[in-house]
Amino acid sequence: MSGQERSQDRLQRMLALVPWILANPGATLAELATRFDIEETQLEQDLELLPMCGLPPYTADRLIDVWVGDDGAVSIRLAEYFERPLRLTPAEGVALLAAGRTLLAVPGSDPAGPLARALEKLERTLGATGGITVDVGGANHVELLRDAADDGRQLEIEYYTFARDEMTTRVVDPVRVFHAFGAWYLAAYCHRAESDRLFRVDRVRAVRETGVAVPPRPATTDDGGLVYRPSPDDLRVRMRLGRAATWVAESLPIEARKELRGGRIEVVLAVSGAAFLERLALGLGSDAEVVAPDEARTMVEEAARRVLTRYEAGP
Amino acid sequence: MSERLERLLNLTATLLETRRPLTLDDLAERLEPAYPDDKTARRRAFERDKETLRELGVPVSVESVDSLGGETGYRIRPDDYYLPDLALSDDERAALHVAVTAVRLEGGAAHAGLSKLGGAEGAAAPPLAQLEVTPALPDCFDAVSRRRVLTFRYRDDERKLEPYGVVHRIGHWYVVGRDVDRDAPRSFRIDRIDGRPEVGAPGAFVPPADVDPSRFVRDDPLRFGEDQPVAARVLVDAARAAWVTDELGPEVVVDRREDGAVVVELQVVNRAAFRTWVLGLLEHAEVLEPADLRRDLVDWLGEIVDRTRTGDEAGRRSS
Repeated sequence: MSGQERSQDRLQRMLALVPWILANPGATLAELATRFDIEETQLEQDLELLPMCGLPPYTADRLIDVWVGDDGAVSIRLAEYFERPLRLTPAEGVALLAAGRTLLAVPGSDPAGPLARALEKLERTLGATGGITVDVGGANHVELLRDAADDGRQLEIEYYTFARDEMTTRVVDPVRVFHAFGAWYLAAYCHRAESDRLFRVDRVRAVRETGVAVPPRPATTDDGGLVYRPSPDDLRVRMRLGRAATWVAESLPIEARKELRGGRIEVVLAVSGAAFLERLALGLGSDAEVVAPDEARTMVEEAARRVLTRYEAGP
Repeated sequence: MSERLERLLNLTATLLETRRPLTLDDLAERLEPAYPDDKTARRRAFERDKETLRELGVPVSVESVDSLGGETGYRIRPDDYYLPDLALSDDERAALHVAVTAVRLEGGAAHAGLSKLGGAEGAAAPPLAQLEVTPALPDCFDAVSRRRVLTFRYRDDERKLEPYGVVHRIGHWYVVGRDVDRDAPRSFRIDRIDGRPEVGAPGAFVPPADVDPSRFVRDDPLRFGEDQPVAARVLVDAARAAWVTDELGPEVVVDRREDGAVVVELQVVNRAAFRTWVLGLLEHAEVLEPADLRRDLVDWLGEIVDRTRTGDEAGRRSS
């Protein structure tokens, strides 16, 4: 079935490529390959197919005419029915607008610049003016941390470690700042941990310049750092989840999943710190049950007792 | 393989160019590369082509050829097919290119969309953000942009919604609008919709003027719900006081104590969300009043202690 996949993908590309060439005759093979993010050989294959396509009865005057000049300039004739691209699908429309609205919501974006104008045009065309909103949260230090990462300035931060419920002071060399899973993160070399660490920007309480310059690391276009990957040292907890708690399996990094009777499921969850597990289990209450290890059961029980202690004295 | 692609292109061109709907016999007669002669195989090959086109979003319409509705014909109405000219300038296209490379979404839909708008103009950007996409999001967006009523199951209830917008907040997509049966504004987390929503006919409602969809979820989930509202007071230790006032705003503080602790007052309309929020602060917070919310929390925690007592059989209550 991979053959079908490929003709569908190629068709999709050609229905976008042909209108562009019709409107911009003389674009070169190299320009077109870059613009449509394909190899030049792929592009040549697409162009070679076109002269076999057209309208019945497929005589010379009804087939698409393609020229590629010695300088690589491409033009197309006799394909007026493809003069406009296919409409955007809802998935394409929402993806473009979501990406654009996200970037526009980042502190420091120009609310009246080219991106804002492009999004307005797109929304008007789709009938979705004002219909999509992206809130990236207003963490206090986002701009400051981004600037420090760009300029290579070392910082001292006061940081709240959520998973262990403690405040720490750390010297960090910022690498970059990004938004994922609804929060801003700082990727930095941490001198306290002596390795690269991710910090939630909304848990940074205070920032001070140390005055030390650090060489900026080259910008990367891979997204390897964007996804949380549990470390092998993290505790693995086996939990049974009732129907109301099955969202845990979709929202958190689970490593195994087993369906039980009555719509319940059993999952293995990687846990990076005690407080993370305590909050999760206390919040879920009887919708969830920690099965193993005993260490995790003890953590949850003791956390519940610690909170209960507060209530024994009366308000 | 390239023969099928050739036929798909020719089929699209022919259906776009025709003024009247064409039957499968019409198409089989004209189209190259030809469909199989065998009637069953021909029908199967054509249905597969039609399905492929529809998956790409090509609007193949099915119409009856004669007034009696006896024979089925097919065509693509140009107005449904052609993307209207957005008149994007080069710098606007470049800005969209930056956006789809800086903001990563699962699936290739943003890049496919960008190709239709003229492809990658200018330079790509390093990744700055990542957004999750949930399968029902395009359905919800389609319903917003074409004013279609959504019908779906949500936490065991059937809901009918006139959607005014989709909102991404704290890592989740919400669809917001008027809940038709309750005649009230509501927001729903799209990833918690059961399966795919049903999408009704276009143009089914008119959203109120100047509606701001983001307001529907601004206070969700802590202060958005259907429970009888009750004012709750929570004591937050000094160690977490600054976090809580940052999160909820200084106006919720009703008392500042000498040791740095604060008492905050919240309007609780979602007891479950309130409990989760208080427990998120672990032993650094305590519900002071009302007494029944305080008792709820004590019972809730007591049950957890009973059920997780180490060494006991799971779920067995000890004396």
